[in-house]
Amino acid sequence: MSEPDVVTVRGLRKSYGTRVVVDGLDLAVPAGEIVGLIGANGAGKTTTVECIEGLRKPDAGSLRVLGYDPVTQAEELRPLVGSQLQDSALPDRLRVAEAVELFSTPRAQDGGELLERFGLSPRRRSAFSSLSGGERQRLFLVLALLNRPQLVILDELTQGLDPAARRGVWAAVRQLHDEGTTVLLVTHDMDEAEALCDQVVVMRAGRVLDAGAPAYLVDRHASTARIRFSMPDPPALLLDQVRRLDGVHEVERDGARITVRGHRRIIAYVGATLVRWEPVPADLSVHVPSLEDALLGLLDGDHASYVNHVMPDAFTPLGRELLGGQR
Amino acid sequence: MNTAIGKLVRAELKLMTRDPLVLTFVFAFPIVTMLIIGGAFGTKPDPGFDFTNPAHWYVASYLTVVIAATGLVMLPVHLASYRERGVLRRFAAAGFPRWSFATAQLIVGLVTTAVACALLLAVAAPVYGIPAVHDVWRVAVALPLGAIAFVSIGVLLGSLLPSARAAQAVGLLIFFPSFLLGAGGPPPHVMGSVVRKVADPMPLTLLTNAVREPWLGLGTATGSLITVAALAVAALILAARRTAL
Repeated sequence: MSEPDVVTVRGLRKSYGTRVVVDGLDLAVPAGEIVGLIGANGAGKTTTVECIEGLRKPDAGSLRVLGYDPVTQAEELRPLVGSQLQDSALPDRLRVAEAVELFSTPRAQDGGELLERFGLSPRRRSAFSSLSGGERQRLFLVLALLNRPQLVILDELTQGLDPAARRGVWAAVRQLHDEGTTVLLVTHDMDEAEALCDQVVVMRAGRVLDAGAPAYLVDRHASTARIRFSMPDPPALLLDQVRRLDGVHEVERDGARITVRGHRRIIAYVGATLVRWEPVPADLSVHVPSLEDALLGLLDGDHASYVNHVMPDAFTPLGRELLGGQR
Repeated sequence: MNTAIGKLVRAELKLMTRDPLVLTFVFAFPIVTMLIIGGAFGTKPDPGFDFTNPAHWYVASYLTVVIAATGLVMLPVHLASYRERGVLRRFAAAGFPRWSFATAQLIVGLVTTAVACALLLAVAAPVYGIPAVHDVWRVAVALPLGAIAFVSIGVLLGSLLPSARAAQAVGLLIFFPSFLLGAGGPPPHVMGSVVRKVADPMPLTLLTNAVREPWLGLGTATGSLITVAALAVAALILAARRTAL
């Protein structure tokens, strides 16, 4: 028998005044998985997780988190959940080691080890106000993991971190996954979602547009790969062979530059063909579809009809916003 | 003392000693102004001070200045700042019960008041001397009741005001007229009738009367004491109802 879902949300609805932020959202987070919530600013991701954490009361819908109702049983639930919240802080003059002590419960693991693991040991006596943005994020992660939570909720986890620190945090999240902890990850960062998540839920205007494993979403919404290379005087036979390869949709020639588009399996077929026509072009490059491409495909696809209906003319700019900072 | 409240109280007391606003406004300001104004009117019994030593009049009055500074300025700014910056959300998400933070602030406010009052008396003793307390029980009842009333008002203001700046503006706007008319300013006998009409029903005036009159043997101030007790109960109930993070 499979384990029940750690988080089950049915028909969640939340408005602020007349603005509907979450609009009939369904969500399931299976035990032991990393599930990513992705979407543009204002998609309703943070409000959704705040309802799951019991920090906001939904207008409608049902929520069960680790078997508890987060609205009526928040005090039983919260010790089992580790949260890294967006837009929150600690008291300015609270020192790092004092924060660890303050947030420790009897279930807590060794705070010193966690500080060491996240590179904060040298800052144990530093006040929160003196920490850099990255150090604050890492401290929040330490506090989220401190009490051996069964569910970890991470909202914009790596915002403000440099690439090395980001990789370190990713490794920590993978370790959580290996230990069987369930993680709900809210992110703008498609690389992060693709690298960490077992499943991704794409949100738009308070609703789920699509959900599934990153590979599934990529295959469904962005299966086109692109191969580029240059040949000053390409043999007609070579181009003909490439055109007839299984999965090739288009071969485009612009002077010496040749671009081939098609299903991702063409990467293997075109590569093999080029090897037969030695020498292999020095500038050969391959663009493999990513989750980011899938998201663009998703936003440009049939699913857009709902959004276009709700927010006409806003679709393309918001699609760009979602990918803002990525390109 | 390892419960949520115990941990919060310990942490907040530690943080209070690192907060320049608390150190200056709650500890230093009442002492400095008490020393200045106590010296300004001399130490000879004066009819304007109900024939008491003016310096003693102010020593007996300034404990309530400490209470008002804590309740009207320190706590509202502190709590509103925590709300504005998301500190309260973080505590809530970490599993601290919804009421624990406000309760911790009530305890911290009362401890701060007690320590600051003791410090004020320690400074006053060698300079002006501490006047004999004529009615110990009434003073001993009035001071904690006043502290509960003003600390509760502080928690209430902190839970209602949206930002630290708003809390500071509102707190100071309430504090300074209360301070000048009800505790640390000129004695009531030198005030004009209109000013006295404004000053008399102010909570800090009532509290100061309830402490100063039995302390210096000027009266029982029973009416003021009952009003302060009612204010303490009402403010405490309202503050308790606003403890949602």
